[in-house]
Amino acid sequence: MKQKRDDGVVDMGRRSAMLGIGGLGVFGVLASRLYYLQVTQAENYKMLSDRNRFNFNTTIPERGRILDRHGEPLATNKLDFRLVMVPERVHNIDETLDTIAKILPLSAPTRRRIKKDIREHAKFVPVLIDEHLDWKVFSALNMKLPDIPGVLPLEDKGRDYPHKGLFAHILGYVGKPAPSALKNDSDPLLRQPTFRMGKTGVEQGQDKILRGKSGLQKVEVNAVGRTVRYWQDDKTDAVKGQDVWLTIDADLQKFAAAQMGEESGGVVVIDVMTGELRVLLSTPTFDGNLFVSGLTRKVMKQLNSDPRRPQFNKVIGGGYPPASTFKMVVMLAALENNVIHPEEKIFCSGKIHVGNRDFHCWKRRGHQLMDMQTALQHSCDVYFYEVIQRLSMDKVKSMGERLGLGQKFDIGLGGQLSGVVPDPAWKKARMGTQWRTGDSLNAAIGQGFVLATPLQLAVMTARLANGAQAVQPSLIVGQDLGTMGTLDINPDHIAFVQNAMRSVCEVPGGTAYRHNSLGITGVEVAGKTGTGQVRGISAAERRSGVLKNRDLPWKLRDHGIMVGYAPYDNPRFAIAVMVEHGGGSASAVPKFRAIMKKALIDDGVKGGA
Amino acid sequence: MAINSRTSGISAKLFEMNWFLVVLIFLTGCVGVAMIYSASGGQWNLGAKQHLIRLIFGMVIMLGIAFVDIRVWFTLAYPAYLGALILLIGVEVMGVSVNGSQRWLDLGFTRFQPSEVMKMAIVMALARFYHDLPQWRVSKPIGIMGAVLIIFLPVGLILNQPDLGTSLLLAATGVVMIFLAGIRWRVIITSCIAVVIAIPLAYKYGLKDYQRQRVLTFLDPESDPTGAGYHIIQSKIALGSGGVNGKGFMEGTQASLKYVPENSTDFIFTVIGEEFGLMGGLGTMLLYILIIALCFLLASQCKHMFSRLLILGLTTTFALYVFINLAMVMGLAPVVGVPLTLISWGGTVMMTVLAGFGLMFSAHLHRETELPRGSGLLL
Repeated sequence: MKQKRDDGVVDMGRRSAMLGIGGLGVFGVLASRLYYLQVTQAENYKMLSDRNRFNFNTTIPERGRILDRHGEPLATNKLDFRLVMVPERVHNIDETLDTIAKILPLSAPTRRRIKKDIREHAKFVPVLIDEHLDWKVFSALNMKLPDIPGVLPLEDKGRDYPHKGLFAHILGYVGKPAPSALKNDSDPLLRQPTFRMGKTGVEQGQDKILRGKSGLQKVEVNAVGRTVRYWQDDKTDAVKGQDVWLTIDADLQKFAAAQMGEESGGVVVIDVMTGELRVLLSTPTFDGNLFVSGLTRKVMKQLNSDPRRPQFNKVIGGGYPPASTFKMVVMLAALENNVIHPEEKIFCSGKIHVGNRDFHCWKRRGHQLMDMQTALQHSCDVYFYEVIQRLSMDKVKSMGERLGLGQKFDIGLGGQLSGVVPDPAWKKARMGTQWRTGDSLNAAIGQGFVLATPLQLAVMTARLANGAQAVQPSLIVGQDLGTMGTLDINPDHIAFVQNAMRSVCEVPGGTAYRHNSLGITGVEVAGKTGTGQVRGISAAERRSGVLKNRDLPWKLRDHGIMVGYAPYDNPRFAIAVMVEHGGGSASAVPKFRAIMKKALIDDGVKGGA
Repeated sequence: MAINSRTSGISAKLFEMNWFLVVLIFLTGCVGVAMIYSASGGQWNLGAKQHLIRLIFGMVIMLGIAFVDIRVWFTLAYPAYLGALILLIGVEVMGVSVNGSQRWLDLGFTRFQPSEVMKMAIVMALARFYHDLPQWRVSKPIGIMGAVLIIFLPVGLILNQPDLGTSLLLAATGVVMIFLAGIRWRVIITSCIAVVIAIPLAYKYGLKDYQRQRVLTFLDPESDPTGAGYHIIQSKIALGSGGVNGKGFMEGTQASLKYVPENSTDFIFTVIGEEFGLMGGLGTMLLYILIIALCFLLASQCKHMFSRLLILGLTTTFALYVFINLAMVMGLAPVVGVPLTLISWGGTVMMTVLAGFGLMFSAHLHRETELPRGSGLLL
């Protein structure tokens, strides 16, 4: 040891050999680890590598169309032209936007939005420059595009409502899925940024059928999510959404809308045998296309501030006093409970004194002696004030509900109002107060607490016309409606009411009488007018003369209502027309006649005999 | 300067050079060029070309250093160490922070990492220290304290930057050199026991949060698959999916799709493993084994303490780089940001490593040169 120490370096040979062996040992450990990873665990890691590498992109199917009963498309898909920019392929964003702006004007907010989108996404994600381009601009851009690198034209299918607003309340519209929808629906389609789902109307109710089934496309993606390659042989095609057929007659609805003109209200045309809705129109309406492309604040404000409430589906969601059209319900209840003989006459002096107040007939001077049929024909209020005092309200309610009031129907649309046929129990529950005779009197003429939607009035009329079956309204062809229940009303009573309704339209003195009212020889109409009061009329006003509707602000004018069916002897259609603040039934009757005439002629009803 | 006739002329030096080692170093560098080319998706200009230029430039410098007389390096040992130490203090005072670590000196035209210089300087200083220290004093307090001081000053400064990886590397190199210098086993065993006790304490009080996180992530990488554990998981997937024969050059999906981050720098071995499989991985390891073995051979041919310790110390640093990098890539060590020398893209490390080889060659070429002993710290 001593001489080694003197040399000073001899000892290092052994120690460096130890070090070398140690180093080899480390290499041995590393090599065996490599063997473990690359041989023992190779299969496992190969799978993980593939999982990294491959992704399945969801492909979006084309949405099913919505068609009317004749196959006329009401909601369809239109080619939409868009312009996108892939930032990583653009040399100078501002210059490129300037070049585009020469053909397609870009507002300052649009430019800001584009730049924001570019900042917020990976550089290879296409950023939308503009959409819904018209063909002219799009083709001009296409000519220019080869000179603008990184800017791509895209053709895509977007939802289109070719009739604009005509069917907006039925169809609803589509939009981006709401977060709540994502929670309840696991369909991968909903997670796609360009997917649009039904938000309201049939688009919403039939969404599962319309949307179709998503497809899968195997793609190779890199770590930042860019698709590097498509695998054409490894994909499942998307299944196109099914078309949905409606019972609606587009042509007739269009005609009805023309009849309504600028008026606010609704029209329902229903097949009295099948319950198919031929027209379900609420006016004014809104253009569903605006909702698809995204509403501007201005349009939104306009829609929300319009007193006629364009977005509101009045025919199924609007509760109106049915007014005199409710008299059929009172009449049938009276007959069923045998509280009055149809030929018993009641004297109408123009008013009746009950409790401590007067209840007026619409005719100030009174109708004199009225029996049941003439009371309906002339729409005598006093007659029904008298009759309803002999009835308990639950009897009226039972009749009203058998005829279709106070309930919602399964037509595949949300936003229906159930309406009200009141009785003491309802008032107690709702208001906490006792039922008064005055409440009954108001109800007798379809005022007060009674509320019905135009759809309910149409169903009521259809059931009166049908006479035997509780017709259920339907909107979607092929929807399972179950079996129709029987109406459970004495056919003789029905026949009596039908005849009284005929006299309203076909016998001189009837509130909707006109000679040959439809203008189709031999075709008679049965119906009933109604004037829904919106305001109370004070005793003082009555003394000084009731204000004429045309002197009142729009909001205070009476609603005009007409319900009816035709032909009287072989009923086909029942129609309810409601003109909001139309100033009385006279605003509804001509519309009713015109629509009924067209419906019958289109259906092949011929005059004669 | 009395120059030995055997090693006097350039031609003689050229003859004496271990050209086999030079070729091995160049080959390993070329593996790097090929793998960077593949990792950058077949782009020559995205690093591969630069790597090749650096390799050639570095090898020229290596040969330049090799032909400089060992006495120059012998004389410069302490000044170089002191210079590096001053630079490290400079970093402390006016360094540039990158990613929360203050490791860089900004020279205006380039940023410069003094800890890289220290890797060589510390080996030179320790070699010089033991060269001057009589063997019988190696295990005496003066010998131990001197060596510990030489190691601890830079390690402490670098740890404070903080750069755990480099400071551990320096400390380990220093410890190996003390071991080679012939310290008594008794001292070694005592220190080992002390270290075992100190580690838990160091973990608790000495480490920064991010460093502790790295250790935790290493112990359970799946706990944070998208964050810190992502490197390790993706790196193991790349290696494992390569199998025995690999996916083929330029066919590595983990690499080309950029799932493994930093795959042309610290994680370049995953590209080798994925594209050339177990064969490529073992082949690369064999290259390193041969290089290290040849360095041991060079050391064994030297007579002086200085030359031997210099070569073995630098070889130790080189080997530790390789070990730590491979262990990290294979998921056996925490992610500490140590490149795979010669293969990983990166200028500073390439230069220091090749300069280190230059010093080794210089020591070997001038192994017959007389070096004075005992002048100690007074030079």
